[in-house]
Amino acid sequence: MLQINHLNKSYGKFQAVKDLTLHIPKGDLFGFVGPNGAGKTTTIRMVCGLMPPGSGSIVINGVDALSHRREIKKQIGYVPDFFGVYDNLKVKEYMDFYGSMYRMSSRETARISDDLLELVNLSDKKEVFVDTLSRGMKQRLCVARALIHNPALLVLDEPNSGLDPRARVEMKELLQNLRSMGKTIVISSHILSELSEMCNSIGIMDHGILVASGRIEDVMEGVFGGNRLVITLEEGRETAVRIASEYAGVKVESVGEHELKLSHNMSKQEIAKLIGAMIAQDVVVTGFHKQEGSLETLFMRVTGDDEAQKGEGKNVAESDC
Amino acid sequence: MWLNPIVKKDVRVQSRSMKICWGVFAYELILALVFFLAMVVIQQNSRYSTNNIYSSMVWLYPVLAVTQIVILGVVVPVRTASSISGEKERQTFDIMMTTNMTPFSIIIGKVMTAIVQSMLFVFASMPIMALSFIIGGMSWSYLFWFLGIALLASFFSASIGILCSSLCKKSISAVIMTYGFYLLFFLGTFLPFLVYQIRRESMLYSSNYTTFSTQAYSYGENWLLFLLVNPAVYLAEFFGRIMAGQSIMNSCVDLTGTYKTAGPIRLVATGNRWLILSTILLLAVSLLFLWIASKRINPVGKHAGKCVRKKKD
Repeated sequence: MLQINHLNKSYGKFQAVKDLTLHIPKGDLFGFVGPNGAGKTTTIRMVCGLMPPGSGSIVINGVDALSHRREIKKQIGYVPDFFGVYDNLKVKEYMDFYGSMYRMSSRETARISDDLLELVNLSDKKEVFVDTLSRGMKQRLCVARALIHNPALLVLDEPNSGLDPRARVEMKELLQNLRSMGKTIVISSHILSELSEMCNSIGIMDHGILVASGRIEDVMEGVFGGNRLVITLEEGRETAVRIASEYAGVKVESVGEHELKLSHNMSKQEIAKLIGAMIAQDVVVTGFHKQEGSLETLFMRVTGDDEAQKGEGKNVAESDC
Repeated sequence: MWLNPIVKKDVRVQSRSMKICWGVFAYELILALVFFLAMVVIQQNSRYSTNNIYSSMVWLYPVLAVTQIVILGVVVPVRTASSISGEKERQTFDIMMTTNMTPFSIIIGKVMTAIVQSMLFVFASMPIMALSFIIGGMSWSYLFWFLGIALLASFFSASIGILCSSLCKKSISAVIMTYGFYLLFFLGTFLPFLVYQIRRESMLYSSNYTTFSTQAYSYGENWLLFLLVNPAVYLAEFFGRIMAGQSIMNSCVDLTGTYKTAGPIRLVATGNRWLILSTILLLAVSLLFLWIASKRINPVGKHAGKCVRKKKD
């Protein structure tokens, strides 16, 4: 659906986006994360045709975004980080206005906007002035507006900023609904827990570089190096480290006073064998569990201060392709 | 018929605001005050004149018309100067640019909104304006001429406002720049002729008078051609033709005197040509401003082509 190749953008001497290559398949709900100034919004603006790229190409649904601007406008629905609504308009009129911006007839706009307002749970607010809506409602209205021309790609720039928890949940449900309808959605956000719950793929940007991208599980595995196992022990720490190191495909990540963290690619039986071997050699194992990596940990890991690490960031999507 | 959605939306939004009501009220009030002031002046003058007071009433027409055009000239740029920058401040501009609307159609929509509003003011003033026709003894056709001039003035002012709005990020800077443009058109167009006149006068009174080129003197008044885009001169010419039946520019240019003026000014200052050419030029300048504004607001216009060319290479 969205293919970005070697995209660059500079503001004077500052390079906001550096050689960004990214592929988002059709039907994905792609989360774009990164610290402030990482280049997310710049990338989104270039994709939406609101900013010219320095170099590189953007292909949406097989159409070159730079040479076929008019075609691309039909493919994209854009929701900015601010509501972007007119206060003296009614909800119905607001939808009608954007429908006519896409040269749709009033009848067609009315029909589609009825469906969309129902989808975003605002059908009872049709005759209400936009300024009387809550922030969450305004944001949902903005999503409905972005869908008026039935775009294939929906781009949302931090849609949850400033929303209360209920509005965030509603927005999350709405986006998941849209994904189930086959829409490809790109969403940038700082709220990682929400992204991990609703997105199936992510891209992490830092200092203009895409440091990791692809399916969440693949990125986790790529960054954390496979599964993680935490073994808690009472005695025999050195012996446990020695035994673990002897196993193929096992890497000792960290050694604590009563804890041993391993990354591995073992099966369940192999894990059982490893624990059995430790117990057989008088290691007092009090417990063990599999540690799941969180998006927060992943984010902190890939956007760490180590500059070298950024450069070596693993692009899972690229390697998959 | 497809109506520009921006016009529809802007007119709808603004008509719901009390600002428009207060705007019409203030407009009417100013016109009424000017009307009564003009009546008082006419009455005072008639005491010392043998002319019938009704023959002086005819001057109500240019007074009211010029007042209206001056008000429009002040108000329209303020409204249009904040049109694009206002959308940017409201963060609705980016959304607009992602729709099927082209930058030029967005600009035209904004200009049309300004013209519709101006015309609302003008039509609302018709009862006051009509007084000058009832007691002024003017032909009704002049009313339509006035509407045409008001339309042109609105279009010209709106195009300057839109251009400045596209050049500035903030509305207030756009408004200030718009009045800067006004100064350029009202005073700047006089400058070339003024410089020429000063030079001519200094040479006439200097010792080397004889070395002054007759040809240069003859062609000198062609500097007046810059005034073709001066709205004040345009209005003076228009009302000069209506009220006195003669061209002001024609009388300014020495066509038959000792030092006959040569060059294109001779052709332009004859008959109705000045007015026609000036109308065409003001329209052309306005369209040029709108075109520049549309290029300015296009976020990828220039670059898109460049990238495609690079790829093809």
